[in-house]
Amino acid sequence: MEARAFSPVLKKLIPVLLTIIIVAWLYKFYGAWAYTMKNLAEFFRLTFEHLLLVLVSMAAAVTVGVSLGTLMTRKGFDHLSPAIMGVVNVWQSVPSLGVIALAYGFLPLLGLSGIGVVPALIALFFHAVAPIVRNTYAGIQAVSKDVIEAATGMGMNPKQILFRIELPNALPVIMGGVRTSTAIIVGTAPLAFLIGGGGLGFWIFTGIALMDMGIMMAGAVPVALIAMLADAALARTEKIVVSKGIQAEEYQVAM
Amino acid sequence: MNIMLKLENVTKIYPGAEHIKAVDELSFDLPEGEICTVVGPSGCGKTTAMKMINRLIPMTSGKIYIDGQNVNRLDTIELRRNIGYVIQNIGLFPNMTIAENIAVVPKMKGWDKDRITERAESLLELINLPPEEFMDRYPRELSGGQQQRIGVARAMAIDPPIMLMDEPFGAIDPINREHLQNEFLKIQDKVKKTIVFVTHDIDEAIKMGDKICLLKAGKLVQFDAPETMLTEPANDFVSDFLGGDRTLKRLNLLKLKAAMRPDPPVIMEEESPEKAKAMLSELKVDNLIVVDAEKRLLGYVNHEALEKQADEVSKVARSTDSFMPASSSLKDGLSEIFTHDLGYLIVVDEDKKVLGVLNTEDIREILRR
Repeated sequence: MEARAFSPVLKKLIPVLLTIIIVAWLYKFYGAWAYTMKNLAEFFRLTFEHLLLVLVSMAAAVTVGVSLGTLMTRKGFDHLSPAIMGVVNVWQSVPSLGVIALAYGFLPLLGLSGIGVVPALIALFFHAVAPIVRNTYAGIQAVSKDVIEAATGMGMNPKQILFRIELPNALPVIMGGVRTSTAIIVGTAPLAFLIGGGGLGFWIFTGIALMDMGIMMAGAVPVALIAMLADAALARTEKIVVSKGIQAEEYQVAM
Repeated sequence: MNIMLKLENVTKIYPGAEHIKAVDELSFDLPEGEICTVVGPSGCGKTTAMKMINRLIPMTSGKIYIDGQNVNRLDTIELRRNIGYVIQNIGLFPNMTIAENIAVVPKMKGWDKDRITERAESLLELINLPPEEFMDRYPRELSGGQQQRIGVARAMAIDPPIMLMDEPFGAIDPINREHLQNEFLKIQDKVKKTIVFVTHDIDEAIKMGDKICLLKAGKLVQFDAPETMLTEPANDFVSDFLGGDRTLKRLNLLKLKAAMRPDPPVIMEEESPEKAKAMLSELKVDNLIVVDAEKRLLGYVNHEALEKQADEVSKVARSTDSFMPASSSLKDGLSEIFTHDLGYLIVVDEDKKVLGVLNTEDIREILRR
């Protein structure tokens, strides 16, 4: 019994440990560690900028995505959903680099600066909002009609139905969208450097330009760590906020 | 008797289908504490009729009164909270525990926490699910039958005077359905709700209803007690709908008490076999029921049994399983008569005291009435 419970954990852990050891060794071997230690203040500034890009654009994408996705399921707005889905899908299908370039080229036409943190945030936001809109919409649509009918018949008003029934039951699907969006944003954030958005992309692109693996890895490894931590944090959040009655079976305690 | 629910010329015409009256001038009165089963072929408007009561579907014309109040003059949300509602597919909220599901309406009504918990526990006891085991479980951990019972409990949470049930046992397998029906009737005996119960199953309508409301193409064909409908169907449509076996259906409805012959010949256990023999020939019967001083059933004796030497009949009495409580249906009784070789059924009360006997002749007699 114990051996059985032990081996799957081990199977998962071995590749993770192996990866960490190899990356840590490369990190040290190419001098990324030494470079970071020498430029510690800059490291913290770039990390801070990077986290700011990710968190702010994420917050905006979640707020707008969930609201828009919800709105699309409301009576009177449902005929707009194909148009809205079309727009967000096109945005998502543009390659990351293209989104950054578009922000750079397009924002000046609106009288805004195409350079700096704000255009970077706008680009990241637009690039990541689609999965949240789509999953919120699909998640609410998928709530059983019987459940809605029961809620209506019991005398819940539309607001109560939305907040107590529809959104809680759509939450696992919405959280799936949030995790996808996070992966997209974390992956695209280094490109923000190209339009003056700052962040750890600075070291990555500098390293590439100078063909210095050390500087490149000094930027790339923290970016990867942020991606992993963000996903782990979201998985944890999902376990807490999603009702145990609708969590995936694997989370369930055996009855 | 207080009329709890009154429908007056209620009509529904759906937009886009103006030439069809989904419900056509439907009127009936339902007294307090009775179950009205609404039944009819599919598309007859039975669900529409029910949903107009809690205004899930707005009526085109007519009036509905609950306890004298016109439902159209009440706030929709408040109206619905005061009516228990059970649907076919249950619709338990999967994100909430059983306790939370039951608490939904009480919470909206502003009950305090202790009162809600107390109520949820007593409701679970009422439906025979131990509260300590079920309060904190989620709907998906329950069987279909258990979920449906929770659905009923949830609808009764604030003790509403009226309940609407839309094919509540329709999605349950036949064995469990019968069990749930019986259990529900037992609960209804205690709580005495006024219930509108939609079903497509005529047997269920007969079994569950104090009144049956039979609809055809939106029109009321007959509104009567099941027994009346079975004995005096209003027209051919009704007798067709009830089925060719409608006389047999009455077996389900009638109780042993109504058909039995009371005070059958009995003999006390300590009497002598000679007296038993004398009684058998005097009364011209084949068997005598043997009872104790409290008139409780012990067995029976016949000529063959009395051949043996004994000083009292209890020594030679044969035991029998051919007995049933007076509250059982005639159908069960008839089946029991055919099962045992005694040839008739001894009707007893809860204490096994002999009340009467029943044979196939008696059943034929009551069905011919």
